[in-house]
Amino acid sequence: MSAMDPTEVFRQEASELFEVLEGALLDLGQRPDDRELVDSAFRALHTIKGSGAMFGFDKVASFTHEFETAFDRVRKGEIKPTQELISVALAAKDYIRALIEDPQSTDDIIGEAILDDLKRFVSFDQPGAPVVEIAEAPPLAPGESKQAGWHLHLEFESHILRNGSNPLDLLEDLCKLGPCFVVPITDGIPFLDEMEPEDCYLKWDVKLHAVCDKDAIDDVFMFVQDEMKLTLSPLAHVEAPAPAPLFQLLDEEPAPVVEMPAPTVEAAAAPLAEQPVAKAEPKSESRLEPKPEAKRDDRGIATVRVQAERLDELMDRVGELVIAQARLTQLAASGSDLSIKMIAEEIERLASSLRDTTMGARMVPIGSLFGRFRRLVHDLSRDLSKPVEFVTSGEDTELDKTMIECLADPLVHLIRNAVDHGIEDTAVRAANGKTEQGRIELAAVHSGAQVLVTVKDNGGGLNTSRIRAKAEEQGLVAAGAVLTDHEIHQFLFHPGFSTAQTISALSGRGVGMDVVKRTIENMRGSIDLSTRTGQGTTVTLRLPLTLAIIEGLLIRVGEGRYIIPLSAVEECIELTAEDERSRGRNFLNVRGNLVPFLRLREIMTASGTPDRHQKTIIISTGETHVGLVADQIIGNHQTVIKSLSKLHSDVTMFSGATILGDGTAALILDVAQLVALAQSKVEKQHISEAA
Amino acid sequence: MALNPTEPKWSLRLPADCSIAAIRNVYELIREAFGRQERLEIDCSRVDKADVTSIQLLLSTAKTGEAQGRPVVLTSFSQSLRNTLRRAGFASEAMIDQHFPQKKDGT
Repeated sequence: MSAMDPTEVFRQEASELFEVLEGALLDLGQRPDDRELVDSAFRALHTIKGSGAMFGFDKVASFTHEFETAFDRVRKGEIKPTQELISVALAAKDYIRALIEDPQSTDDIIGEAILDDLKRFVSFDQPGAPVVEIAEAPPLAPGESKQAGWHLHLEFESHILRNGSNPLDLLEDLCKLGPCFVVPITDGIPFLDEMEPEDCYLKWDVKLHAVCDKDAIDDVFMFVQDEMKLTLSPLAHVEAPAPAPLFQLLDEEPAPVVEMPAPTVEAAAAPLAEQPVAKAEPKSESRLEPKPEAKRDDRGIATVRVQAERLDELMDRVGELVIAQARLTQLAASGSDLSIKMIAEEIERLASSLRDTTMGARMVPIGSLFGRFRRLVHDLSRDLSKPVEFVTSGEDTELDKTMIECLADPLVHLIRNAVDHGIEDTAVRAANGKTEQGRIELAAVHSGAQVLVTVKDNGGGLNTSRIRAKAEEQGLVAAGAVLTDHEIHQFLFHPGFSTAQTISALSGRGVGMDVVKRTIENMRGSIDLSTRTGQGTTVTLRLPLTLAIIEGLLIRVGEGRYIIPLSAVEECIELTAEDERSRGRNFLNVRGNLVPFLRLREIMTASGTPDRHQKTIIISTGETHVGLVADQIIGNHQTVIKSLSKLHSDVTMFSGATILGDGTAALILDVAQLVALAQSKVEKQHISEAA
Repeated sequence: MALNPTEPKWSLRLPADCSIAAIRNVYELIREAFGRQERLEIDCSRVDKADVTSIQLLLSTAKTGEAQGRPVVLTSFSQSLRNTLRRAGFASEAMIDQHFPQKKDGT
């Protein structure tokens, strides 16, 4: 395993910053007065700019700088972030992202157009307001006494350069406020052997000869204030004039040879250059200490960035360990050596603990996924002229990282559907006495060993009669067949099924819901629809917590052994003689409810005589229950999931395989497929009975 | 970046990029050069990307040399390096001389 390419690290970090930026911009559209959002957006921009320059993304740095400058009036509170401005800012963010991730996909002209728009919007309201506030000390009459400016002592945290921040840029910004006298403090420079070359050791004393308020100085350091110690004290009353600036930062010509002046002009309030500032600080100083909770401590780093593939490898190893442990347990059980049994139990405990820890390390809050949909809804809402409020909850709910990756596309489709088909036009909503603004809720919640993700809209609901008519037209159901609403809604998951009158850029081609269903089922999850006419539709995805190791129920059918994911198992009951007599109808009576069942011996074409007391395992996907009849229920099994080979890619009844303690393989039953099989049998029975 | 061991003393020419992106390599090279020869001359003429890390490395090199009694001489500061020094507050030649042991051309 090699170290990560630094450029790749930057791309990943930038990706996270883009999410922060986008979230802040979208929130700003709703809470334009929230200064923290503006600051958050600026911090993200600033880090992208600094890191971009550091890693050679010069175009990114240059464009982001322009973006920052244009957006500066928003930061200063001079103009409000309107929806138009937010949209352009989002486009600017997309452009920067393209410059980083796929520079070939974009062009300079796009960036220029975005900047033109941005400048147009920010200069629209209040022309003439200065973009950069430069406070210059007014000339003083001889003998006049007044505050000469500020004395600053700057100490940055050691890691600040690695973050892409550049103290020299900050000094340059500071000098825009007025003439500066900058003295570097080199005391902290270590010997070569003790040095970390990327760390920051230099400190600075600055005397700023300008009458500006403290906020203007704070603004210069706002992006790094959590990562530095800024000691600020006024240069007390002095006799004018202040000394001529010795340090003109913007002058690119070589500096003339001048002697260092003795810094004696200022009053004693300012400590001498290269003197530790803490020794002579006045009481009037204002300290901008790093926030305690944000202060970093290199000795106790809270998080470590790990390559995803390393986590995958770790999970694979743990999987192998669990298999080996199962074999050891079986071997120990077959012998009589007590010490071996004890060791086997200890290893079983450790393997189980290691498995839980490893799976925990792979868990990612689903909020990282939810964030991206806010932009989707924002854009769809604008394009379709449907005001939509997007509400998320349960962002802290954790799912295996692989699940998160797989879940993105299905959710995009469901949310698009909700905006395009679910939420009605403004006029229709108004006519139905609804608020103009539609509402889409995206929520996640733990439910046992599953996570439920719901997409709920308050639109018009599904048109059941139209779905049925379309299904009959396509020959999916016989005209007049008795079907529940739930059964009718399942037609939406048939390939090529669409009730949309027109095909739009977003939907209507009937491609999508079947893919969503297949994707969710491939994740061993299920999808459910519920709807109320005029009130909206809720799509519920039920997902297992992980795809790597699951709790399974080991059963025997004939000579073969199979695993049923335990999360799908509702209960186990014995097949009664009465149920046996119902052969041909294949329905169980479970507490008054008729549940169809499948005889696994028939499906697996098992040989030999069936066990006398057949067992039925009731499984469910969403609201649908099906019984599976097996010869024997062996018990719980830690199931390390192995994919089937390409040769078996067309086998739909199994979702994978696992290795048992004795080294033999057991196939994992695909619950969704079995339920679908049972349902199709029921439908055929309905049709034959109707005939 | 080049080490030239044919000269009576080791001379090290810094690469064009001495910014944080490349500073670790420059650091290793200076340490390696330090370990080989008593006297070290560092040619800064090609530096065209410099930042705080470059300044710190040169300061540390000078400090280490002085502490070990092994002369380190910096030569031919490029314009880019000078600009960075000035931005960091090393505003005058006198100040630069004070912190960085330079060999002026012809001396």
